[in-house]
Amino acid sequence: MPFYRCAVPKESVPYDQRAAVAKAFTDVHCGSTGAPRSFVHVVFDESDDRWDTPYFVDGANRAGRPEALKAQLLSDLIDAFRDVTGVSADQVSGRITEGPASWTMEGGMVLPEPGEETAEWYEHDERIGQGQAAAGG
Amino acid sequence: MANITFRCTMQEGQVDEETRAVLADGLRRIAAELLGASADDVPVSFSDIPAGFGFRGGAPSTTSLVRGAIVGGVDQELREQVMRAIIDMWTEISGCTVDELIVSAADA
Repeated sequence: MPFYRCAVPKESVPYDQRAAVAKAFTDVHCGSTGAPRSFVHVVFDESDDRWDTPYFVDGANRAGRPEALKAQLLSDLIDAFRDVTGVSADQVSGRITEGPASWTMEGGMVLPEPGEETAEWYEHDERIGQGQAAAGG
Repeated sequence: MANITFRCTMQEGQVDEETRAVLADGLRRIAAELLGASADDVPVSFSDIPAGFGFRGGAPSTTSLVRGAIVGGVDQELREQVMRAIIDMWTEISGCTVDELIVSAADA
């Protein structure tokens, strides 16, 4: 977590834009929450799921952040998506759902509650980032 | 007896069909041993994220997700037991590292 699923029409967002959106989402999320970068997951989905708009940002985050921060985060994510893809405002919407941090383990550790991340957690993030780079990711 | 379902999501090309069957058996065994589920009645589904469609930290991802949903829920101690058992089984069988795996066990 966080996990951002971008529902998009088939073949509407080329690879370079998908990569740019993923980087932008990581920047937005980490800038807003202070979360480690390697914990930000972004997936693009071209399936036929129906949403309110043709493009939809479906986020799943740890519970416990203030409502104002969550609203700003979603707004910034949608802005970032539009900046990269050029999609108009009426064509993209989104939501952020939340679940308890303690229900998930990532990198072999139970996720900490927002605001309770330890130094060990950030060291862990660095290790994952190095592993990603070594794997070509 | 707890009922649990598993949804597994992997990056395309990372886990072959034969290995998926072994992983599914492992998930069912864990559900039976730790949650008292009937191994024959534990739904396990797999889906792939196409190459170039999954990212982590802004870079292409090699991470797999195993999402369990436990009907009725469990306490945190048992939840962590289940998640750790899945991590141990999955990394051993698939060859991925612990850093390439996210496991959740949600109350449902």
